[in-house]
Amino acid sequence: MHKQSLILLTIAATLLSSLAIRADDPISERQDLMDGTRDALKAMVKMVRGEAEFDADTVTNSLNTMQNTAATAGDLFPPGSETGGDTEALPSIWSDREGFNQAMDHFAKAVDTALAANPQSVADLNPVLRGITKTCKGCHDDYRQEKDN
Amino acid sequence: MPFKRNVRWWLTGLAISCVLFWWLIQPLTLDSLNLADESVNLVNGEHMFYAGGCAACHASTSDGNQPLLLTGGQALKTRFGVFYAPNISTNPENGIGNWSTLEFINAMRYGVSPQGQHYYPSFPYTSYTRMSTRDLVDLKAYLDTLPADSSQSLQHDLKFPYNHRWLLGPWKRLLLDPSPVLELDREDAELERGRYLVEGPGHCGECHTPRNMFGAMDLNAWLSGGPSPEGKGRIPDITSGPDGLGDWSKADISYFLETGIDAEFDVVGGSMVEVQENISRLSEADRNAIATYLKSVNSKP
Ligand code: HEC
Ligand code: HEC
Ligand code: HEC
Repeated sequence: MHKQSLILLTIAATLLSSLAIRADDPISERQDLMDGTRDALKAMVKMVRGEAEFDADTVTNSLNTMQNTAATAGDLFPPGSETGGDTEALPSIWSDREGFNQAMDHFAKAVDTALAANPQSVADLNPVLRGITKTCKGCHDDYRQEKDN
Repeated sequence: MPFKRNVRWWLTGLAISCVLFWWLIQPLTLDSLNLADESVNLVNGEHMFYAGGCAACHASTSDGNQPLLLTGGQALKTRFGVFYAPNISTNPENGIGNWSTLEFINAMRYGVSPQGQHYYPSFPYTSYTRMSTRDLVDLKAYLDTLPADSSQSLQHDLKFPYNHRWLLGPWKRLLLDPSPVLELDREDAELERGRYLVEGPGHCGECHTPRNMFGAMDLNAWLSGGPSPEGKGRIPDITSGPDGLGDWSKADISYFLETGIDAEFDVVGGSMVEVQENISRLSEADRNAIATYLKSVNSKP
């Protein structure tokens, strides 16, 4: 009895959550994720530019945020989310998914490299941050068209 | 009698028009150049190559790890048709390997080929025309160090009447002007350097300035942005006005040009990525000069 209701409950919960994900808007979700990534970048750039004190914990947190983006953003571009909202995603994401995934992979690798380097000073941080920025650009170059606002 | 006189007037008018027309479509070039005491500086030549972004149109790969092959072939889609950037590698037949420095300068500054034909301004000589002889000599010397490629240049695919190059003669008389766009209100070496880099080799205006009915940059709206020539999206205003870089400090602009990270910590995209990566290879002083210049360009009245 108890076991059965647990199973039923699990099924119901799974159904509900999948419904919830479908009801959610992948466009605003991925944009929020990217905005979080920007904030992570901002925290580190401020240190590099001498506008904030270097802080190893903030760096690690920021890199973890980016790692999370790299792991989850790919799923937020499902078929059917090509247009709508104020998306800046380019159709090339869907016509060249392999290239897009590869760009995401480059990003993930650059973040991993930075985490492994475990930067303890601005001098450590600067080169790995450049490596990361290059991969943001690499993807935006081909898969995002900024809108003028 | 009045009939005959009319004919005479008419013929004279026609003759004058013909001469004028002939004069208008003639290419203007330098006939000679005294390069006797111009020793070359390859480092400066390389800087000019990156400031000028030649690879964006002429390189076959933009992958930084490959040697630079200036094979051409990149398609530039415009409302006049499709232009294909030619091979400018050192191959003597299909590239520009056997061009003299003078011929190169005539192409870059006057938009004229060694055969005396007009180039289309899809080759942004409308900006390069402001480059100094010194920099052009060094740039040619640098190009001479790059590998040769024997690919044949592609024919442009243009709509009538744009497929007639002689039409560019009058166009150039009117619109090709090497004088600076911005009058400087003070004497300042950094500002002057910035002006040179932006208006000349950097050809920033070619993308960031809207075009008039003749397809030329509308200098009254200098750097104020406009529809993307590639068709999708808009190119941002980079004047110092409120719709442009008003909120950006000089340091923000300089940092953006170095890293691609903008004042809002967003990361650059689109055709600016390659421009930014090229400019990141210039000196910090040059990037600061560009920033100083941009901060002194007023927004469109
Ligand atoms: C693999 C591709 C990819 C990578 C890597 C990537 N982005 Fe993006 N980014 C996109 C796409 C696609 C969009 C447009 C999303 C949309 O509007 O639907 C975007 C949008 C953005 C936005 C605008 C979000 C909004 O609110 O509209 C910001 C900010 C941003 N990215 C920052 C970054 C930063 C910073 C990095 C690197 C640390 C990065 N991105 C890495 C693909 C990528
Ligand atoms: C925006 C794209 C673009 C950029 C940037 C560009 N070019 Fe070109 N270039 C062209 C096109 C298109 C032509 C062909 C013009 C024509 O056929 O009338 C051309 C033609 C030329 C030619 C004449 C080649 C021939 O075979 O007659 C030379 C030389 C040249 N470019 C050199 C350069 C150099 C050096 C730079 C960098 C300082 C540069 N270009 C940057 C597009 C570009
Ligand atoms: C090939 C076309 C092209 C050329 C040439 C070009 N730009 Fe850009 N520029 C762009 C585009 C497109 C953007 C928008 C980038 C984006 O979507 O992230 C941009 C963005 C910028 C921005 C950021 C503006 C903002 O509001 O975010 C600055 C600053 C800038 N360009 C400066 C320059 C300078 C300086 C030069 C000359 C050295 C130059 N650009 C040459 C196409 C160009």
